[in-house]
Amino acid sequence: MTARLESAIVPPDPGVPPCGPDDHCITCGDVAVAMRVERVDAAARLAWCVPAGAAAAPGVGEWVDPELVGAVRPGDVVLVHAATALARLDAVGAPA
Amino acid sequence: MRFVDEFRNPELGRALAGEILATVETGRHYKIMEVCGGHTHSIYKYGVDDLLPANVELVHGPGCPVCVIPMGRVDDGIAIAHEPDVIFTCFGDMLRVPGANGTLLDAKAEGADVRMVYSPLDALRIARDNPDRPVVFYAIGFETTAPSTALTLKRAKAEGITNFSCMCNHVTIVPPLRALLDSPDLRLDGFIGPGHVATVVGGRPFEFIPADYGRPVVISGFEPLDLLQSVQMILRQLGDGRCEVENQYARVVPYEGNMAALKVMSEVFELRPHFEWRGLGFISQSALRLSDAYRDLDAEVRYQVPGVRVADPKACQCGEVLKGVIKPWECKVFGSACTPEHAIGTCMVSPEGACAAYYNYGRFARDREVV
Repeated sequence: MTARLESAIVPPDPGVPPCGPDDHCITCGDVAVAMRVERVDAAARLAWCVPAGAAAAPGVGEWVDPELVGAVRPGDVVLVHAATALARLDAVGAPA
Repeated sequence: MRFVDEFRNPELGRALAGEILATVETGRHYKIMEVCGGHTHSIYKYGVDDLLPANVELVHGPGCPVCVIPMGRVDDGIAIAHEPDVIFTCFGDMLRVPGANGTLLDAKAEGADVRMVYSPLDALRIARDNPDRPVVFYAIGFETTAPSTALTLKRAKAEGITNFSCMCNHVTIVPPLRALLDSPDLRLDGFIGPGHVATVVGGRPFEFIPADYGRPVVISGFEPLDLLQSVQMILRQLGDGRCEVENQYARVVPYEGNMAALKVMSEVFELRPHFEWRGLGFISQSALRLSDAYRDLDAEVRYQVPGVRVADPKACQCGEVLKGVIKPWECKVFGSACTPEHAIGTCMVSPEGACAAYYNYGRFARDREVV
């Protein structure tokens, strides 16, 4: 996942097919990951998110469109697929 | 890591495996289909099937979005990629899927500007950065991915980005499941439902399976304990004589789905009358195209595509694998002529494909003790 997240800010080399760990394209594979909102760009309608269990670190994270889960704030945890938040995890009973 | 570690606990896994063993009836053979390619990947990555009794067989379904794209659609994409000045964008796995005229990677080697992206938003960013060049996004995926494409097309329209267009190959999960259930050569006892598709569509679209076909469905998460628990829930339904849609993945999936996602999908997309699925043939109303309101962003309208139907290679048995009729290792070319490095069929291209999952994690035919 880290490889994918880093590449979200570093333009990917188009000649390198693998786009996730284990040569596993998590976008093709219907994989969604839990991510925590770090900051919100209201003008762009995007939220900068990092993996839910990870501390914020330079170069780790991606811009996510939160429109489908309503307004988000830093600290919210959302389920992300293809840079889109599909569900607000806390709202449907994620374990604390 | 929160949301992950608690679902990989080995002690809980052993306990669940024990409960499953206690639930199965001796002498009865259970066939359970995991619909989603992500489940297939997890099952073989974590060896979930090794924890199941031998008379519980997991059958791999058609839920790998890369695997079901027919060769003709790949060729259509390659034709667009070769159009003058076009920047052609798609997800990573799609680059290696063979059409009749090679792969998108081959097209890139021949000079086409083909770029891998991680999301439709990335493709739109490329369009913003290259206003003088047409940028095409080759959209694939089930209902999990379609909302992301829909939101991106809405953004493109709102921002007036006219050099962006989309070749839409989004498919929907219910029609192929109905086609599978109508197939006379397939006997299934239950379904592990696709967790992330259900995040968008909810549980109701799967209610026809117990109602019309008398098979239980358990919507499942993707961690090893999720899958074990889902198998156990299906076996319990069968043992109790119940038949319903249950939601094992309730920590993520609201039963009603995501209404905002469904709304934006209905605004941007409409159902195609027919769409060809690799190995399954044409299935009515099983795929999406851009609606009239977004037709100006439709790459198939902007460019002439061959639109030719291409038969799968004769040696390839992806169709039977996708229908769960044969196991990957029963295919004539599995692991010999067809490998992840030189794939003949799409099931070997994508890691979510059943063949690649078997190949990568060494899951070949082997004897297991019958309970």
